[in-house]
Amino acid sequence: MSHSQKRSKSIHLHQLRKAFALKPLAVGVAGIMLTACGGSREQSNIYVSPEDCQQDNPEATGQCLAAYESALEEHNRTAPKFDTQNDCEYEFGNDRCQYVQTSSGSFFMPFMAGYMVSQLLQPRPYYSQPLYTSFSPYSPFRSRWVTSNGYVFDGDIRRRSYNAPSSVFEKKPTVNRTIKRGGFGSSVRAKSSWGSSGSKSKGWGG
Amino acid sequence: MFRMASQPRHNWQQLAAEYGFHFHTMYGEPYWDESAYYQFTLRQIEQDIEDPSAELHQMCLHVVDKVVNSEALLTQCQIPQPHWDLIASSWREKQPSLYSRLDLVYDGKSPAKLLENNADTPTSLYETGFWQWLWLENLVDAGQIARHADQFNSLQEKLVYRFEQLRQQYNYQRIHFSCCEDSVEDRGTVQYLQDCASAAGIDAPFLFVEDIGLSDTGYFTDLDDNAITHCFKLYPWEFMLREEFGDALEAADVGWLEPPWKSVLSNKALLPLLWQEFPNHPNLLPAFFEQDKHRATGGKWIKKPLFSREGANISLLNDDDSPTTLSDGPYGEEGFILQQYHPLPRYGDQYVLIGSWLVDDLPAGISIREDRSLITQDLSRYLPHIIL
Repeated sequence: MSHSQKRSKSIHLHQLRKAFALKPLAVGVAGIMLTACGGSREQSNIYVSPEDCQQDNPEATGQCLAAYESALEEHNRTAPKFDTQNDCEYEFGNDRCQYVQTSSGSFFMPFMAGYMVSQLLQPRPYYSQPLYTSFSPYSPFRSRWVTSNGYVFDGDIRRRSYNAPSSVFEKKPTVNRTIKRGGFGSSVRAKSSWGSSGSKSKGWGG
Repeated sequence: MFRMASQPRHNWQQLAAEYGFHFHTMYGEPYWDESAYYQFTLRQIEQDIEDPSAELHQMCLHVVDKVVNSEALLTQCQIPQPHWDLIASSWREKQPSLYSRLDLVYDGKSPAKLLENNADTPTSLYETGFWQWLWLENLVDAGQIARHADQFNSLQEKLVYRFEQLRQQYNYQRIHFSCCEDSVEDRGTVQYLQDCASAAGIDAPFLFVEDIGLSDTGYFTDLDDNAITHCFKLYPWEFMLREEFGDALEAADVGWLEPPWKSVLSNKALLPLLWQEFPNHPNLLPAFFEQDKHRATGGKWIKKPLFSREGANISLLNDDDSPTTLSDGPYGEEGFILQQYHPLPRYGDQYVLIGSWLVDDLPAGISIREDRSLITQDLSRYLPHIIL
């Protein structure tokens, strides 16, 4: 076909086949490619403890500790939370979850497995993010690094240095609990009392 | 532009089941119809549809820019005052859009005329981007259609590319996709967009609009209490702005697809405003607000509500100004506009409407709907097309 073709050149039919497709996993395993042309990127390193960081940066012991603490704080705020130990361990592996009790309820969340730091030695403020990994055979995160908002890094946990997109360091919004549902959708109920068909299968697109 | 009879694929219903096309028949009536197709020349597609679509889209953006900067126009568009800021700032921040569909009257000869712009919640996307594409592949492979036949339909390619842009340039790493319960068609449309987003490396979970929650901290949440940071909603802005969670929109800080500024385009007030800004443009029909009715003289006029879906609440004003109701419906409380009557072209006993798709601002293909009645309604059928 020439360059002037007016239709999509190829469509991966298997991606659109639905009949025998397995259900997609809750969090994208496909892996978000770290391509070179994306937004801004930060050379970042992953450490499993402040000591690990200090060994790599003997001249920055204070920063290593502070980055660890700020990652831990972010971890407490944004780690994925589960109602039961089972659900948490299914995703992260046996004995990889902690029980947490707060004023608004109790839940299970994975231990922080490491933290990612960038610009540690720059005069600019450095960034730090908690990271998780899974030991569960059922999890797409098994032996990989993943952030609290589900960003999965390429390669396995032995890799400790990445060119991470800046979005990795964006703070995830805090949610303690949902106070209400059903605040959208009422117009549909109101308008669908009108119509020629008893069972409405027609939507609100146009 | 011809209507050609065609032999349906013997296994098309089986294929539909395999690919999850579950709404090819609705209310017991066929919706997908491959017993015929429309044939265009490349010149018709490029000069009469593709180029005008790109231009019409730019004209529409010009109107958005006018409206968001004018309290009088925001009022005239019936956009609730508490949300003016949300809409204006989404425009000033250039919040990215995904797609839209311009409905055009076109007969293969005269300039295409814009009937309306479905810029907020367009459907029939899957049928266009994928299903009619597959139909052509199959018919070409079977030798029923010439191998050099083409189709104006780069929709899927452009959608995946647009999602890649959203991920790389706008940091859309995870998008929640949402539509209302109880609509197989809407769910199918949204599933298709999820597939396109996944192909671009975006995490694409689904939840129903009715299930969206509000957190103690003011964010919208999914059923796992995760904050919704980016959301595609196949649900009209004019509804969202007026519902209970409308007041939470500002603080919830969501990157919406489509963005709030699209509420200016999906509004029929767009039509008189376009005519005001670009009078006598060959691709526009004269249009006026109802209060300027005295200017709508000569011939027949179509009266449409500012907000309506699927051709509801439309009437025809005859030469003597007497109205004929063409369709009923629950809309109209926000006012009406008048648009010059321009009949749809007729092929046999079928009236034909062309949907011209854009992904962001790039023309990306067409869809064809046929109906026995003059107003394209819920039960019109979808037919494929080719370029030869």
